Amino acid sequence: MNLWKEFTKGFIKENPVFIMALGLCPTLAVTSSVENAIGMGLAATFVLTCSNIIISLVKDLIPSKIRIPCFIVVIASFVTIVDLVMNAYTPEIHKSLGLFIPLIVVNCIILGRAEAFASKNKVLPSILDGLGMGLGFTLALVVIGSIREVLGAGQWLGMNVMPMAYIKSPMLVAILAPGAFIIMGLLMGLIKLVNKGK
Amino acid sequence: MKYFIKLGLVLLLITAIASGILAYVNGITADKIKGNKVLAEQEARKEVLSDASRFEQRTVTLPAVAEEPNPLKNKAEEGPRQFMYYLGYDKDDQLSGYTFVASLYGYSSEVKTMVGVNLDMTISKIKVIEQSETPGLGANASTAEFQGRFLSMNQEQLKVDKDGGAIKSLTGATITSRAVTNSIADGMKILADAVSGEDK
Amino acid sequence: MSFITQIFTLAVFAIFVNNFVLSKFLGLCPYIGVSKKIDSAVGMGMAVIFVMTMASTFTWLIQEYLLVPNHLEYLQTIAFILTIASLVQLVEMVIQKTAPSLYKALGVFLPLITTNCAVLGVSILNIQENYNFLGAILNGLFSGLGFTLVLVLMAGLRERLEKSEVPEAMKGMPIAFVIAGCMALAFLGFSGLNF
Repeated sequence: MNLWKEFTKGFIKENPVFIMALGLCPTLAVTSSVENAIGMGLAATFVLTCSNIIISLVKDLIPSKIRIPCFIVVIASFVTIVDLVMNAYTPEIHKSLGLFIPLIVVNCIILGRAEAFASKNKVLPSILDGLGMGLGFTLALVVIGSIREVLGAGQWLGMNVMPMAYIKSPMLVAILAPGAFIIMGLLMGLIKLVNKGK
Repeated sequence: MKYFIKLGLVLLLITAIASGILAYVNGITADKIKGNKVLAEQEARKEVLSDASRFEQRTVTLPAVAEEPNPLKNKAEEGPRQFMYYLGYDKDDQLSGYTFVASLYGYSSEVKTMVGVNLDMTISKIKVIEQSETPGLGANASTAEFQGRFLSMNQEQLKVDKDGGAIKSLTGATITSRAVTNSIADGMKILADAVSGEDK
Repeated sequence: MSFITQIFTLAVFAIFVNNFVLSKFLGLCPYIGVSKKIDSAVGMGMAVIFVMTMASTFTWLIQEYLLVPNHLEYLQTIAFILTIASLVQLVEMVIQKTAPSLYKALGVFLPLITTNCAVLGVSILNIQENYNFLGAILNGLFSGLGFTLVLVLMAGLRERLEKSEVPEAMKGMPIAFVIAGCMALAFLGFSGLNF
């Protein structure tokens, strides 16, 4: 097993958002600013990696029939830990991400990797798989978030990047719901186009 | 049957271990979380009344308003409605002003503003501390530019320009502007009554 | 009179103003995944309405009578998601016995209702918005209705889309998202609605 490949596959080739279309709900909801995108991405990566580790460690102890509920308990525990820690130490981001922090537990990426990889592989590859997929997720979020923040507010990470005239009157729809959907659709189409060309 | 019991026990065991770990994490973070909220409000207070170094809380009971309770929501607070404000004392322990939180539903969310009031009942500074209005429109209520429009205003001037007052409302966000302005005006009226009552 | 008004207000808000899919971004995976045909969309929608209403009921009871009195609010995520998983398992078994054709039609999407963020989402929102028992049940019901409404609308649009000429790269998911965006634009018109 090529460990490096396990780590990097989540970035482009099997990017959870753009290629596998998983984890769509948080993707559209938190990408109105790059700061939120990074916050969510890192939180999800933490949960994904930790749950991958635990599940890989106990995979032989869990009867197959109840494996899904057991995975869910493990994932939900790490989500709660992230929720409490963020509330205590990064309250601003915790407030911005709001409902979507506990919703990490139903992020299909995490349950998907637990079922497809961590329950069938050893700990080290599982760590790399988790980290890789999580970072790929974060990458996708940051890309979408950048487009939306630059177009919708003329800023990137809160810093002005567009001429003042644009900032006075930006394309607001990009940070609102419709813009999220449309930008996502166009991005996916673009990626499909690029892949076809290869 | 025995098989199902075994399954149930495994799940129960995992859940119990998880709950234990979470109880531990909750224990270490609970106080910090509570503290954060208090700290945030304290900082907002200091920001709107910059020369105050010490604050004292006062509560006034408001006359009961015949409000129809929402049958679909839990009763939020029991007991009579209360208005809370703070007296600000500077480093020489002289009274320098007051602060209170103004709150009103705007366009799509409750808008909460921390208001600092000078002794002559004009505004020293305001800070919008909570809102979820439309980004780019009503959400601009949190900008320094909008908040600056309230400096030195007294209670009579506190209406948006559309209603004949002195506050220029945000472009395309009259409702949000009105919510902020009117909530502050209401609060200042109650504050003025409370303060004069205290002097007596 | 006021009671009916409140219920009506809640319904309008849950279905249109705060539509779960188009303004809250909840329930997107099944929204994109199951909206290709009107029949399966309706079937999925009905199942989701049922699960959302039942989930709202049970999670509210668990929060009120188990978590809060014992100061176990931090176990909310675990407790809620386990409740929902069990509920979906139950629904699956019932549908398998009583309507096997529907069971076959929904296929793998039925157990996937567990990971539908709309179900967990509405359970948590009920608590955050301070709804009482009746309010929670109604919110679950109406939010589910809102989800089903846009799901069926989307399916109708996509069935029509089969017959139009879509650029190759946009076929399938990309164009579905763009259409969802147009629907979201329309629903944005409801924002700020107030009685």
